Amino acid sequence: MTGIRPARVWAMVAAQAAIRGGRVSAADACAAVVAAVEVTGAWLTAASDGQAGHLMRVTDGIGELLAELQLTLGEGPSLDAAARGGPVLASDLGSADLAERWPGFTPAAQLAGAAAIFAFPLQIGAIRAGVLGLYRDRPGELTTPQLGDALLFSDAATLLLLDDQAEAADGLTDGTSAGGQPEDLARHRAQIDQATGMLTEQLGTGIADAFARLRAYAYSHDLRLADVAGDIVARRLRLRPDSGASLDGEA
Amino acid sequence: MNGQLLADTFVELTDTMVADFDVIDFLHVLTDRSVQLLDVSAAGLLLADPRGELRVVAASSEAVRVLELFQLQSDEGPCLDCFRSGVPVGAVDLAAEAERWPQFSAAARQTGFTAVQALPMRLREQVIGALNLFRAEPGAFDAADIRIGQALADVATISLLHERSMRHSDTLNEQLQAALNSRVIIEQAKGKLAERLGLDMEQAFGLLRDYARARNLRLAELAQSFVSGTGILDSQLQGKPRPRPQPPR
Repeated sequence: MTGIRPARVWAMVAAQAAIRGGRVSAADACAAVVAAVEVTGAWLTAASDGQAGHLMRVTDGIGELLAELQLTLGEGPSLDAAARGGPVLASDLGSADLAERWPGFTPAAQLAGAAAIFAFPLQIGAIRAGVLGLYRDRPGELTTPQLGDALLFSDAATLLLLDDQAEAADGLTDGTSAGGQPEDLARHRAQIDQATGMLTEQLGTGIADAFARLRAYAYSHDLRLADVAGDIVARRLRLRPDSGASLDGEA
Repeated sequence: MNGQLLADTFVELTDTMVADFDVIDFLHVLTDRSVQLLDVSAAGLLLADPRGELRVVAASSEAVRVLELFQLQSDEGPCLDCFRSGVPVGAVDLAAEAERWPQFSAAARQTGFTAVQALPMRLREQVIGALNLFRAEPGAFDAADIRIGQALADVATISLLHERSMRHSDTLNEQLQAALNSRVIIEQAKGKLAERLGLDMEQAFGLLRDYARARNLRLAELAQSFVSGTGILDSQLQGKPRPRPQPPR
């Protein structure tokens, strides 16, 4: 059972790509989230494992300034979100504890025109793809439904960024990102994560590449990701570094 | 029943206004004290994520956590029924529930549980999760135990909703999401370790947990460094032979 809300979010991302006239990418999630959760603007930085992020998409000049300020100052919500692996929700930049937390960034961000900032790490466990940042020109929390949608847009942006990175690296995913919503990642979460960890050993790769190979295998064999993960965890299926696979009992 | 522990637990479950409040620790208090106070073998807790999905956020043992995950995955079981209906759901003997929950009752019995009681975490119309109590032996749960379990769940619910509406609303959501991501890292580390040493997932988890405890590391941090290949655990295990031969290239 794929939820209605994730499907709605993916539809909004796909619509944005159609307006732009291109293939669905993480930039479309960045553009579509602004209206969906009622923020003033957004930015998206992409960062593969351990690398400093580069700015991939901004929706306006203030968003661009906010992203650049953090890179320049070396502090701010995007960096904290990436470091802690959870969102940073700063709903009022005028509060005293935020002035203390980011002494350089907070006043500069306010001067730029931001009053609230929300930063979402684009991560799946130890896989780090970047950060999605949102800002408002007046203070105010995201409501619970808005927070939920922002998290779902982040989930979409994460998968799309990983596809882009894998394709840029060596064409591994072979068009997995063609606007499709992966089925049911949430419910089969644990086995998919375990299988990804197992693949780092089988393939001798990092965790992001292992996840890309898992998804690519499912896509190219027209199988559900959850089923492939289940076979790997049950040790019925092994993937090999040369892109092949062996099914136990068949070899 | 330990009256002093019960009184202390109620205080713990209302004391959310402390500076270093941690929502996951708070929910672990609820599951751990349930096992200490009530005649139950294990307890697990599901909480609704802002995305609208149920997530396993606390469990008194890893076995229960896996069983709760299984419920979410197979989309059936007393905890889901309880969350969806907002009323308590129970079974005194899972051997007789093959029709109601074919997959869950088999998995629960395999894990060693025969009776289950799910209690809603609910305030008026709002259901935010479910507390699930498991017992190894068949038979009805003690009526007083159910009342106390529900009271603990109620107090925790009110505290959390109060917390959410107060100054810590942002903090609560930040902590919950960070904890969920930590859990993903732990699963990835379990997979990597299981594959390297030829263990099953339970053994891999036990090894990670014991290693973290012995060195006073946080499990999520150990998992993170192991998965990124930067930590001491990774280098220590680097030279070990693989029990499973590589398939021919």
